[in-house]
Amino acid sequence: MERIHTTLPESVQVADAVQAPAAADESGTVVDYEVGLVSLNQWQLAWRKFKKHRLALIGLGMLAVLILAAVVGPILAPYDFYTIPKPDQFVTIGRPPSLAHPFGETARLQRDVLELVVNGARTSLFIGFSSMFIGVFIGTVVGAISGFMGGFIDNLLMRIVDVMLSLPLLFIILVASRFFANGSVVLIIVIFGLFSWMGISRLVRSLFLSIREREFVEAARAVGVTDQRIIFRHILPNAISPIVVAASLLIAGNIITEAFVSFLGFGVNPINPTWGNILTSAQEFLNQGNWWWPFFPGLVIILTVLAVNFVGDGLRDALDPKTRA
Amino acid sequence: MTKFVIRRVIQAVPVLLGITIVVYAILLSAPGGPIAKYAQNPRITESQRNEIIKAWGLDQPIPVQYCRWMGFCDKEQDGLALVQANGVPNVFPAALGGGTNGVLHGDFGHSLETGDSVAGRIGKAALPTAILAGLALLIWVSLSVLIGTLAAIKRYTFFDNLTTVFSYVGFAMPTFWLGIMLIYAFSGPGLDILPASGMTTIRSSPAFGSDKYWDFLFNNPLKALGDLGWHLVLPVFTLVVVNIAGDSRFVRASMIESLSQDYVRTARAKGLPGRSVTFKHAFRNAMLPFVTNVGLEIPFLFTGAIVTETIFSWPGIGRLTIDATRDYDYPMLMGVLLVTSVLVVLANLIADVAYAVVDPRIKL
Amino acid sequence: MTEVLTTAAKGSPPPSDILLDVRNLVTHFRVMDGVVPAVDGVSFQLRRGETLGIVGESGSGKSVTALTIMRLLEIPPAQIVDGEIWFNGRELLGLTETEMRHIRGNDIAMIFQEPLTSLNPVFTVGDQIAEQVRLHLKLSRKASWDRAIESLKLVGIPTPERRVKQYPHELSGGMRQRVMIAMAISCEPKLLIADEPTTALDVTIQAQILELLKTIQARTKSSLILITHDLGVVADMVRNVLVMYAGQAVEEGTVEEVLLSPRMPYTMGLIESIPSVDKRGGRLSAIKGTVPSPFHLPPACRFQPRCPFAWDLCQREPPELYSIGGGRHARCLLHTKQANPVSLERFQKQLAVLQARAAGAEAPAAAVESPAAGQPA
Repeated sequence: MERIHTTLPESVQVADAVQAPAAADESGTVVDYEVGLVSLNQWQLAWRKFKKHRLALIGLGMLAVLILAAVVGPILAPYDFYTIPKPDQFVTIGRPPSLAHPFGETARLQRDVLELVVNGARTSLFIGFSSMFIGVFIGTVVGAISGFMGGFIDNLLMRIVDVMLSLPLLFIILVASRFFANGSVVLIIVIFGLFSWMGISRLVRSLFLSIREREFVEAARAVGVTDQRIIFRHILPNAISPIVVAASLLIAGNIITEAFVSFLGFGVNPINPTWGNILTSAQEFLNQGNWWWPFFPGLVIILTVLAVNFVGDGLRDALDPKTRA
Repeated sequence: MTKFVIRRVIQAVPVLLGITIVVYAILLSAPGGPIAKYAQNPRITESQRNEIIKAWGLDQPIPVQYCRWMGFCDKEQDGLALVQANGVPNVFPAALGGGTNGVLHGDFGHSLETGDSVAGRIGKAALPTAILAGLALLIWVSLSVLIGTLAAIKRYTFFDNLTTVFSYVGFAMPTFWLGIMLIYAFSGPGLDILPASGMTTIRSSPAFGSDKYWDFLFNNPLKALGDLGWHLVLPVFTLVVVNIAGDSRFVRASMIESLSQDYVRTARAKGLPGRSVTFKHAFRNAMLPFVTNVGLEIPFLFTGAIVTETIFSWPGIGRLTIDATRDYDYPMLMGVLLVTSVLVVLANLIADVAYAVVDPRIKL
Repeated sequence: MTEVLTTAAKGSPPPSDILLDVRNLVTHFRVMDGVVPAVDGVSFQLRRGETLGIVGESGSGKSVTALTIMRLLEIPPAQIVDGEIWFNGRELLGLTETEMRHIRGNDIAMIFQEPLTSLNPVFTVGDQIAEQVRLHLKLSRKASWDRAIESLKLVGIPTPERRVKQYPHELSGGMRQRVMIAMAISCEPKLLIADEPTTALDVTIQAQILELLKTIQARTKSSLILITHDLGVVADMVRNVLVMYAGQAVEEGTVEEVLLSPRMPYTMGLIESIPSVDKRGGRLSAIKGTVPSPFHLPPACRFQPRCPFAWDLCQREPPELYSIGGGRHARCLLHTKQANPVSLERFQKQLAVLQARAAGAEAPAAAVESPAAGQPA
């Protein structure tokens, strides 16, 4: 059966309508009138496809709001975070959501939950993104070396990856956070990064193996281009799309893992609120009610991870040359 | 088949050795080391501390410590003991004629907290985890297959969209949060109908795993199992909801892929009825990658249950790990990490074999 | 759209010697960018026991035509907009899915291009053939299995008793296609549709498979539709040929006539692009340009942008499938009174060159009539 929707060449789009001949339209795209096609560069095309992905746009908007809240929220908040409002009043039941406190107030110190969530967003998002960068960096370097060098080095690195992937990573991260991090955000980020690069390295290695064999790399090698230049100018740009998609999933994973580790009390010091450690003490007061205390931080985690996953899905479709805009 | 399994087991040996080194290295490099908890204890004198260091062999060079922990070396003798005096490799448990010390012989040491044998504690905790995780796995795999397949057949219908939304949210939901919310909803101040912690009702039943419990189970099987089942509802539900999200998507994608294959068109061209095409030709092929996927998920049952077990005070491996982590219980942690690592390697192996069994194209 | 090839009135069955009567078939695909008219008013007839070749480039609509007849297209995105398909006295498009199922595999069987992906990898070939036999002929498990072996024997598979228990991946490409053919003939269908049955195979195997199809067709007296992009393949396989371009039938006639005196510039281009031994040293000509985008079909004649004989009228006046005498049809304005004399002369000159070359290589060409003799229908 003829595949009607895939007969057109990749990264080529059908022009919207018959247009008057012109060398290029205002967006810099070139129109080939003989077959009525518009060719776009990779990123223009990706953005076009991304824009059509409604959920991805919503996700992007949600992320923007969250990051904005994390940055300016604590400044705008009516309550000073570091002065505890009612230090003498330890209560077992906080206050349910009201106009003054939309997410309610906690038991014990009667803190504003919205305030905690907004402050937590800073640390949680910071950890999610920063540890992703570390993971992607290590993974890309290891994968690139492995895929480009091949032979013994490739074998050695991939066996290390095998070993790392055979570890019960959640346990290891938990133990490492407890033993090394001492509640420090930076150390938590390093630990998360150190134990999350393996998937990326396998991905990058396989990309390198396949791209290395492609004609344009052969051609570059034939005219005497250095290895370094081949890696950075010829191979990496072609490997970027899948890495970006994998990285977005890593962010989501890191945010959930951080929440989990901190919830258990082995993560970030509670002086520094995160979406995880806000919940730590919420559990003990649960049988008195206080549902709003754990509910809202969790809801924000869900929304964040949803947003990141939506963006990831959008990126996957947008960067995949096989899908059409 | 046998050859394949043997080859894979041999391949797994360096991986397992690598795991012991990584686990050892992580714990070794932790600040303070195993005696950290005694360092702050004012009731323990300097000389007592030194005695502990000596007794545990912490004064020895690191390779010797590792070697002893693994069981290749012994306090009583110098040098490696890879082969025993009788010529048998020194890797079997004591019961099978191996040595008595070290990981290789099933000796993981004793808990610093309670003094119990680590192997014994792990063995005891394995059953509750197996019950919880096994039941959850059974339910979520069956439901995933059902939901995923239906969603694939009824693609873009209301049902499909509903499951899509559900799986996106389920995928984004932290397990512990779901657990907390469920406890509030069904065991909280409002509606208190389901037990929120433990495996048994304390007032009416002995603790699970104790000697009395087995008598109780034997004498009142219905009552005991009913009580256990009642306690399983919330933790199992939590695990199922969280895991079904990803797996039902997997089945759906796999089924859609399968339905678009040429052999499905051939099956229709043969005049087969729709259900035959879907449930025989497409389904069988869609299950191939899913079998591997499930095989790879099994080890994460043990690590993944860690959260659920904590929330619901379930006395399993996860709970054990959390306690050991909190108490800096080194021997216990090493034991748990090693055992779960071996499970991961084993599960990978099983997944490979299972794939070969269901896919005729793969020859072992 | 004219229905020149239809003899019976709309809505009534064709004479009983006509096994398949496709009338003005229109199949569209609705995709994100719009509507693709994959098949746009195709009509043809096939007598019992007769053979027809449908020839065209990929995207010409030949496979979609076959899948429409089998009603195997996924609806949506596909949509059968118009037309009638009369098969063995019944109109297929009006049948229920259940009725249609009894025809598929039983009365009409199809052989696909890629035998490896077309066979289910997780069932033995015997299972896959016997399944169909059991379904349509209501035979027992044992009898269906025997029949599967019988079919395998019929298509020349050695030791069928052993092969029947093997999985598709254990067979060679040629063997797999033989299995597909065995499956197709297992219920003795009245019509076999082979969609590019040799395209995915090695050249040496291709001839064997075509030979087998021919033998099987002759032995079972079933009708055969052979779909291919290769005019060379149809030459000694079928009696009639239908050339398709951009969803339309553009030329129709017996295979000798079409090959030796094509009346549509597109067919002529196809013939000239067949490599042959006697043209060695000469230039292998190809049709210039590419198949038009299905979203932007040229107005009027769809072949006009690539046609070496086109003149200004070709961009304005959509050509119909004109009857040009001798039961032949061609979709080209050269066969009307409006023909541009210069173009006509060049066309005839080119035709003469083609025929001279063919005459030099093979038996004397069929008598050439003037292309202008045909009248618009």
